[in-house]
Amino acid sequence: MAYSELIKNFSRIRDYMREFYVYGFKSREEYTKKSARSYDDERRRLESWLGDHMRFRRTADGKNIFISIDSRLSRHNPLYRAWKTKSFTDGDITLHFILFDILDSPDTVLSLNEIAEKIDGYLTSFSEPRMFDASTVRKKLNEYIAEGIIVSEKRGKTMFYRRAESESVTAEDADMLDFFSEVSPCGVIGSYLLDKIEPHESHVAFKHHYITAAMDSDIVCSLLYAMSEKRYAAIETVTRHNRRISQKYVIPLRIMVSVQGGRQYLMAYVPRFKRMISFRTDNIISVEPGEVCGRFDEFRKKLDGMLPNLWGVSTQSASGERIEHVEFTVTYKADETYIHQRLEREKRCGSVEKLDEHSSRFSADVFDAGELVPWIRTFICRITDISFSNKELETQFWDDIKEMYAMYGLEGGDSR
Amino acid sequence: MIFSELYSAYYNAVAGILKAAAARPLGSGELRGIIEKNAFGESLPNIESAIAEERWQLLCKDGSAAVRNTPTMPLTMLEKRWLKAIYADPRVRLFTDEEIDLPDADPLFGPDDISVFDRYSDGDPYEDEAYIKNFRLILDAVRNRYPLSIHITNRRGGVTHMVMMPEYLEYSEKDDKFRLIGSSCRYGGVVNLGRIVSCRPYTKPFEEKPGGKKQPRIGTVEFELYDKRNALERVLMHFAHFEKQAEKTGEDRYKVTVKYDRDDETEIVIRFLSFGPMVKATAPRHFVELIKGRLLRQKNCGQ
Repeated sequence: MAYSELIKNFSRIRDYMREFYVYGFKSREEYTKKSARSYDDERRRLESWLGDHMRFRRTADGKNIFISIDSRLSRHNPLYRAWKTKSFTDGDITLHFILFDILDSPDTVLSLNEIAEKIDGYLTSFSEPRMFDASTVRKKLNEYIAEGIIVSEKRGKTMFYRRAESESVTAEDADMLDFFSEVSPCGVIGSYLLDKIEPHESHVAFKHHYITAAMDSDIVCSLLYAMSEKRYAAIETVTRHNRRISQKYVIPLRIMVSVQGGRQYLMAYVPRFKRMISFRTDNIISVEPGEVCGRFDEFRKKLDGMLPNLWGVSTQSASGERIEHVEFTVTYKADETYIHQRLEREKRCGSVEKLDEHSSRFSADVFDAGELVPWIRTFICRITDISFSNKELETQFWDDIKEMYAMYGLEGGDSR
Repeated sequence: MIFSELYSAYYNAVAGILKAAAARPLGSGELRGIIEKNAFGESLPNIESAIAEERWQLLCKDGSAAVRNTPTMPLTMLEKRWLKAIYADPRVRLFTDEEIDLPDADPLFGPDDISVFDRYSDGDPYEDEAYIKNFRLILDAVRNRYPLSIHITNRRGGVTHMVMMPEYLEYSEKDDKFRLIGSSCRYGGVVNLGRIVSCRPYTKPFEEKPGGKKQPRIGTVEFELYDKRNALERVLMHFAHFEKQAEKTGEDRYKVTVKYDRDDETEIVIRFLSFGPMVKATAPRHFVELIKGRLLRQKNCGQ
């Protein structure tokens, strides 16, 4: 098939975008083990869509393509452009604009035959007018009914159609849409709405802004649909290191978003394993809604009950203990009281105790104490005491610190 | 469906073309301008030829539109559901007092469906009337470019007064706070909105200082990454929002370069430390010394 800038299916480009944006160190040869043509086509599309954000670097292994975006400078997520590339037929686009010109207001109500006749009238000025038969027009109208932009009503035996009534977005909504399209789940929908108003300067910039979630928009949207209808869902997931695909039947309960790591997770109850499991949304490759789950509220309540012991998304420890305890003490000078405040504002569960003027202790009972380790390391230079009920984890914590000393030539002495 | 031609850049481009052609026949230059504004780098020949060859029978040979009205399309159910969800977010009050009337749409998500689990807990008070008033005034001043007189609570608990030209607002998802970035201000031009005591238009003569806009001081840190315990994926994802480059240097080793704002250096050092021995800073020297300094202080932290 000839190359086209537009695409029918998002899944392949999603993989390439992720590789180019998050990693960006692979050479063409590493991608082309499967298909050189596929790599070249996807790279060319991304270059067309993302323009200057696509960069390349020459290395001994060849040319490495990567996407480089400083999200503090880009006030609109450039990756949203990829969602505006769905392919269509010549008939689709012609019919679309003519249909909405015919059904120009919610007061214009016409039957299929009346619409088909009017369509013909639009095409007479072209040298070889297109012919749209009634079944094609009906199919398109039904697609639009499903999208909520056309409404049908039966009068006697005849079906009549009109455009749906709706509010429209205006320039006054621009700042609100600029903001929520960047920070809200499925923000690409906000970007679609922004396309309806005149281009404008955005007045809000973003810091600590992960834009990668954009690539999972359809997955998250499908999960939200399933949740809103309290349905089961069949999800297909991929294991990154061996590319193994597996399917699970789950009850999707919540999307858990990390604003510090850039990842999104689905928390779901998995009946087969009789437990709550988290799935990274970027590892989910498809979502099919299933039956309505009569126990949805019960499982969501169960998840809520787990939150006081959930630091991140892990519901199971490496040690096998149901609950692990962790506590550590930090020291600070008289003019560093913000350290105590840091503990207070950064903790996600557990408690903080001020021991004296110069030290504070954090303690928590969690499902997986390993999830706290990266956060605890941010207090390196002031940790005076640390204790994990999982002693292997405690040993590893200090071994890691010793390894860091060695890395920077600071070996010798007690790590504490 | 979130991936639909209804939202495509090509449909938007054609809507723009038909809107312009509804007023008067469109010349080729104008046509190209609209395509370039709405679509992608390679779109121009595709759209131009589809119209010229009458595969898309929407624009007549003389450049007039085959349709009678300016193209419009109602909001899709997906758009309505998303709007309904964001109108339930307390932050929407920063922008509008209006309620949205979409009786046929359920919100796409609610607070029980989405949870941000690692956001700091001392975010701005979005439901506080004084905060909302300040936010709206600042946004108006950014839009219409007029100076503001602002009193803030400083770090020592006192009150500091400043006058500045507001440039833009900056939101941090991690801190859940807004900051105002301004210019021509003697205090650096960055104000946390949560610290504002009072804010009003500055009505006295105000002279903007040339070069008074705050420019980021860009720093670059280079580090080696050891791909243990899935560190490659975690580290690159963590630093994904910065401009960065990664290069494979060995079996499980990578060289990574990240650009950052020097004003945030302490935060970068802390984030760096969170990866433990999986990353080793190699340049610049002062950054390496910051890491070493913290490790040395840790060494001296006796029990």
